Amino acid sequence: MESVAVKGEGLSLGYLKGKQRKVILEQLNFELKTKELTCLLGPNGVGKSTLVKAMMGQLIPFEGKLELKKKNVSEYAHDSRAKMLSVVLSEPHLPGNLTVEQLVSLGRTPYLKWYGALDTSDKAAVNRALEITQVDYIRKELVNEISDGQRQKVLIARALAQDSPVMILDEPTAHLDLINRYEIMRLLQEIAHAESKAILVVTHDLEIALESADQFWLLSCGLPLITGKPEDLVISGQINQLYPSDRYEFDLLRGRVRLREESSNLEIIGDQDLTFWVKKALLKAGFQQLDGPVLIQSNPILLRYQELEFSRLDKLIDFLRKN
Amino acid sequence: MNSNRPTYFLILGLILLLFFFLVNISLGSVSISVSEIIHGLFFSDWGRSSYEQIIINYRFPKAIVAIIAGIGLSLSGLQMQTFFRNPLAGPYVLGISSGAGFGVAILILAGSILGYGAGSIHPWTISIAGTLGAGLVLSLVSLVAWRVKDSMTLLIVGIMFGAAVSAVISVLSYFSGAEALKLFTIWSMGSLGSLGWNQVGVLAVTVIIGMLPLLFSIRSFNALLLGESYAKSMGISTVRLRWWMIGSTGLMAGAITAFCGPIAFVGIAVPHLARIVFKTADHRILFPASGILGAMLLLVCDSIGQLPGMAESLPINAVTSLIGAPVVIGLVLRRNFSKEF
Repeated sequence: MESVAVKGEGLSLGYLKGKQRKVILEQLNFELKTKELTCLLGPNGVGKSTLVKAMMGQLIPFEGKLELKKKNVSEYAHDSRAKMLSVVLSEPHLPGNLTVEQLVSLGRTPYLKWYGALDTSDKAAVNRALEITQVDYIRKELVNEISDGQRQKVLIARALAQDSPVMILDEPTAHLDLINRYEIMRLLQEIAHAESKAILVVTHDLEIALESADQFWLLSCGLPLITGKPEDLVISGQINQLYPSDRYEFDLLRGRVRLREESSNLEIIGDQDLTFWVKKALLKAGFQQLDGPVLIQSNPILLRYQELEFSRLDKLIDFLRKN
Repeated sequence: MNSNRPTYFLILGLILLLFFFLVNISLGSVSISVSEIIHGLFFSDWGRSSYEQIIINYRFPKAIVAIIAGIGLSLSGLQMQTFFRNPLAGPYVLGISSGAGFGVAILILAGSILGYGAGSIHPWTISIAGTLGAGLVLSLVSLVAWRVKDSMTLLIVGIMFGAAVSAVISVLSYFSGAEALKLFTIWSMGSLGSLGWNQVGVLAVTVIIGMLPLLFSIRSFNALLLGESYAKSMGISTVRLRWWMIGSTGLMAGAITAFCGPIAFVGIAVPHLARIVFKTADHRILFPASGILGAMLLLVCDSIGQLPGMAESLPINAVTSLIGAPVVIGLVLRRNFSKEF
């Protein structure tokens, strides 16, 4: 069953400069749903962080409605909002002397009594968060001595321990290697589905977002927010709004953005998968046109050009540069 | 979490504190052994009647002031360091010591410029002038704090207020006479020993009141470890915490400075020592640990300043910095300090 966790209607956001309003986002309409992983994509400076701040209640909308679980975000008291919404922010400010377990325990802050001790239910929530994110085995380690990928999981565990129906993550996959980026997004998708949470991830990783997201929100300058299933947006071509479409395009086959293919007169003959890469290398090296076709022979790989044979692309390119 | 380790350390700390307390009161120009003190205290059987006088009316209040000042300054320093997320912050960054100095300077220096004798000033008057001065500067900083949202701005404002007030003190010093200048200089070196029981009582009550907000903000200080945005996302009101902190450090550091003069070093160094010794960032442990370590440090420094067999003792500020600075430098170099904070 789908239910709406966060809802925006005719939302207009921005900052006050002196007494003047500087509007950044206008007329936003969206629904963040439970049991779904939603990815918010858009170029730098388009206002993604502004939207996140508004959802966190740190920015009061100029106009429109922003509801968290059917109640206006700004009407929540500090700690009752913290029980509804947890975050993973992009600038980690981690102190020394703090173990993984202690950091995750901080997620229980809104539930603690004034003296700050954890009771059994708090401890159970912390343990569960550590298990779900699979960082149980490093619980005693210091947070500044673990890897970036582990640290990101630990920060997600902290948000989980906060036990809120909504989670917002600001670029959780930045600075991570490819495998860890997939891992983090897969983990978030799992959490959304298994723990019935509404998760919003701000990211620049289109390819990985395509693999894991249930919903896309596309934000581009001066255009209304586009929402929908990622696959729908790809099929309808709306995904192209993410980047200047005169120079980039979405590669339907490979599921990624690429430079719009410059019209080239390269003639490359051979296996389709291999011609793609050979063409790419030649274009990158600046060859739009050659005097004859390049033939690719597989098993073993051999490139033929004008009666000559090359075992590697760099040798072919070297030859072309000399002549 | 090694759950028991901090508890053992805290108990050990309390025992050490008691030990240093006894050592402290047995040292001085007249050497009185610990057993004689215990005998005197519990059986009212003093070896000489002058001993009772020395212990009860001079050394006891001094040692207790050392403990109170050590606790108050360390707790103030820890709050400031966590709140501003700055390892160099201390109890005086909001201009409290300059403010107290300003009050005392007006009393002593301006008094001498206007022709009042400096020699006749009662110790209570100095304390009151210090309190008024600290209160004045803290109120000004608070007025600004109303308007500032961001804690870094508040830190800069506090330091600037301190600098401006110090400049006024310099001007007053420049125009005042030698006798008043010496009196003020001695005040600014800090002194634990010039207080009578009445004043010790007032100081103790003020510092205890100043400690109350801490009980309710441990949770918030822990959440602040991850930065202000995270703390807010976990339901912490940083604005409310700021007022708790200004109130708490104002009462503790303000009263201590007014009564004892600006005691340097303790407030900045002790929280770091506590982090190094207790290896934790949890304020449930750091607060008691800093308090105990601060009290111990001031007792030890005061004992060292007590040059045996001499009537004079070194000013407490000189000892805290001379002894404390090398110790902290050593600890910081031995362990990777930047990773501890």
